[in-house]
Amino acid sequence: MMRFLTSLLVGATLLAAPAQAQNQPLRITIDEGIIEPLPLAVPNFVPDGVAATEYATQIAQVVAADLTGSGLFREIPSSAYISQVTSFDAPVQFADWKAINAQALVTGSVSLSGDRLTVRFRLWDVFAGTELGSGLQFAGTTDGWRRMAHKVADAVYSRITGEGGYFDSRVVFVSESGPKDQRRKRLAIMDYDGANVQYLTDSTSIVLAPRFSPTGDRVLYTSYQGGFPRIHILDVGRVEQRVLQSQEGTMSFAPRFSPDGQTVLFSLAQGGNTDLYTMNIASGQSARLTSAPSIETAPSYSPDGSRIVFESDRSGTPQLYIMAASGGEAQRISFGQGRYGTPVWSPRGDLIAFTKQNKGRFHIGVMRTDGSEERLLTASFLDEGPTWSPNGRVIMFTRETQGADGRASLYSVDISGRNLRPVRTPDGGSDPTWSPLLQ
Amino acid sequence: MQTGTKISGIAHVTLVAWAFLGGAFRSEPLPFEIQEVSVISAEEFAALSAPREAPEIIQNPAEPAQPEAPVEQAAPVEPAQQPEPVETRPEPVSVPAPEPEPAPEAVAPTPEPAQPAEAPSLEQPEPETVLLPEPPGKRPKPRPVERVAPEPVAPPPPDARPDPVETPPVSAEQGAEAPQPEQQATAPEEATDRITPEAEPTVEVAPSRSPRPKTRPQPTQTAAAKPDTKPAATPEAKPAAKPTEKPTEKPAATPNAAVNAALAEALAEASEPAAAPAPSGPPLTSGEKDALRVAVSECWNVGSLSTEALNTTVVVSVRMNADGTPDTGTIRMIESSGGSSGAAKQAYEAARRAIIRCGAKGYKLPSEKYDHWRDIEMTFNPERMRIK
Repeated sequence: MMRFLTSLLVGATLLAAPAQAQNQPLRITIDEGIIEPLPLAVPNFVPDGVAATEYATQIAQVVAADLTGSGLFREIPSSAYISQVTSFDAPVQFADWKAINAQALVTGSVSLSGDRLTVRFRLWDVFAGTELGSGLQFAGTTDGWRRMAHKVADAVYSRITGEGGYFDSRVVFVSESGPKDQRRKRLAIMDYDGANVQYLTDSTSIVLAPRFSPTGDRVLYTSYQGGFPRIHILDVGRVEQRVLQSQEGTMSFAPRFSPDGQTVLFSLAQGGNTDLYTMNIASGQSARLTSAPSIETAPSYSPDGSRIVFESDRSGTPQLYIMAASGGEAQRISFGQGRYGTPVWSPRGDLIAFTKQNKGRFHIGVMRTDGSEERLLTASFLDEGPTWSPNGRVIMFTRETQGADGRASLYSVDISGRNLRPVRTPDGGSDPTWSPLLQ
Repeated sequence: MQTGTKISGIAHVTLVAWAFLGGAFRSEPLPFEIQEVSVISAEEFAALSAPREAPEIIQNPAEPAQPEAPVEQAAPVEPAQQPEPVETRPEPVSVPAPEPEPAPEAVAPTPEPAQPAEAPSLEQPEPETVLLPEPPGKRPKPRPVERVAPEPVAPPPPDARPDPVETPPVSAEQGAEAPQPEQQATAPEEATDRITPEAEPTVEVAPSRSPRPKTRPQPTQTAAAKPDTKPAATPEAKPAAKPTEKPTEKPAATPNAAVNAALAEALAEASEPAAAPAPSGPPLTSGEKDALRVAVSECWNVGSLSTEALNTTVVVSVRMNADGTPDTGTIRMIESSGGSSGAAKQAYEAARRAIIRCGAKGYKLPSEKYDHWRDIEMTFNPERMRIK
């Protein structure tokens, strides 16, 4: 009897086991998707009064232009809207936005009080029917309405992609005008999208290679004022400049700030040899990092300031090398065909952008810091001088067309190689340097 | 015949003779010009050609000035190439300085000094960032909570009340005479013991499904068990007899009470999962799973994800409605790997959008196998979608 009951007990246990196993959920793995811009709607912000109407429209347009310009979003035209947003605080009619396949919705309002502009916005996940993050409000003067629009776009970008934005930033570049044989060059600053261009220097002397400080308040550049290249430092806010490094019989160029902004890393040509040096900005004390008979130039710090990537022709052709920030033995990281130059470390620290010349074509490319996974993002008659966006997602560079009428202009490209687009400037442009996000 | 032949022969001979003599086969030379060429010296050639050029010059005395103009235009092309080295070697102080000087005076002076003064505009906008307090349409979806909470509270009291009223008929053994009231009395008693009444039918199902014991112990048990159970069940009223007989049999087997209790527990455990939707029938085929996978992947857009989120794998669970649409309130991330919590959140939101968007009209899943796909766990692995 006991055996029978025991066997029954075991049998019942065995019955329970498969029953539990059968109750497991269905499991599937999805490893392929689509890569396309996310459709979003940015209806005009709701103005709080007639005076704010123009700002409300313009701010919405800039927000939409920022997001679509990133290549990650696609704006749904307002002509397709089923319903309009007439009140910032009214509940969103998700069904209407779902119907036009808007996956994200940006609603906002603008109020104007005297010279004081206040912008509010909310971001909605249409299909989930929820708000992404919390609503934000920006307040400032009417002069800064574009900055407020950029900040809204940055917040939207960040909430959807998960990485920081780059719209509220500026670019200093070399503005080029006039024919090629009489080209006038001067430093200019603009919003990242080419708006609000202002000139920082005159064109009495050639200027090259501006470089933003980590805080965005100063710019290093090379000027031929005086007949030979010397490094200058410019206070962007006060538009005051001074010569940073001057030594008789030498030429200094290709400067770059250290991540803490206290040190300048640059190339110094003396006696036919070019080497890398550092100089403390406050004390003026300099130190030599390399002492090879070859040409070492175009240095760039890693974000943590521990290493330096630079260009050297010690192997016979220009290649990229990495060494400790204090100098020492350098390790070559570029081994592909062609010539490599102007390396720039990504703000994220994971990639190095560079210029490559191979078979008569110029490319902008990126590679890992150990030289692996090299990817060429562009190809043209002349592409050079990459600079990273603050979030390390976009690269801006100089593209020059062929011929006597060749014109230099600025372009940007996503690190995926997609979304190559020109940056509109009044004149030609070259040597861009991207500021950090403005505070 | 001969006459005709002769006439014909004479005629032919005459015709041929006429043709030869008359020049009918004589080919006339094709019209072409022949020029006689004689070798002359260069001086003679110059002398011959000189008079031809002379009139041309006389006709257009002013034109020679125009050919000179294009020559001048072509010339700047050469200097245009020269300035390039001038730009590249600005070391000589004297050479580059004079060239750019005139230009800047014309263009640069006026705008440049004025605009740098505006450069401090970097500090102009001072957007003060403020978190907005309350979203306008803040309507969370606590669906199950609100509906379930009020219902279970009300029903228990009415069930408990009828019990004391019907206690007397239970004590009477004449159940066959009044079977109806006895049924009502037994139901509430059991309901008070267990919260989930659905467990009862499954208890009956579980033992009936086990066919194994019948094979081996049949010869011994059939002899003893059949007379015990069948006669007890067959006599008189079926509904009232079963509940009364079972308690009487169990106390008879008092030595095995502990084993019975364990057996009851085991059967109860076995019945619990069955109370939940136990899948029955064949599972989904690989083709049906692939169809679901493809349907979701068509809406899984990773184009707007950060590079870190593209390194993050998330596992998302969702409960499906019977019509194939996902219950959006049940979508949850149950696991993530490869990225930070922020990246996992972005990856999860992209996955959630995919599930909702492509499931808006219902995924094509076999309705007869609903128990198999009621709960789904989807692993979104973006490894193949990363930037390469």
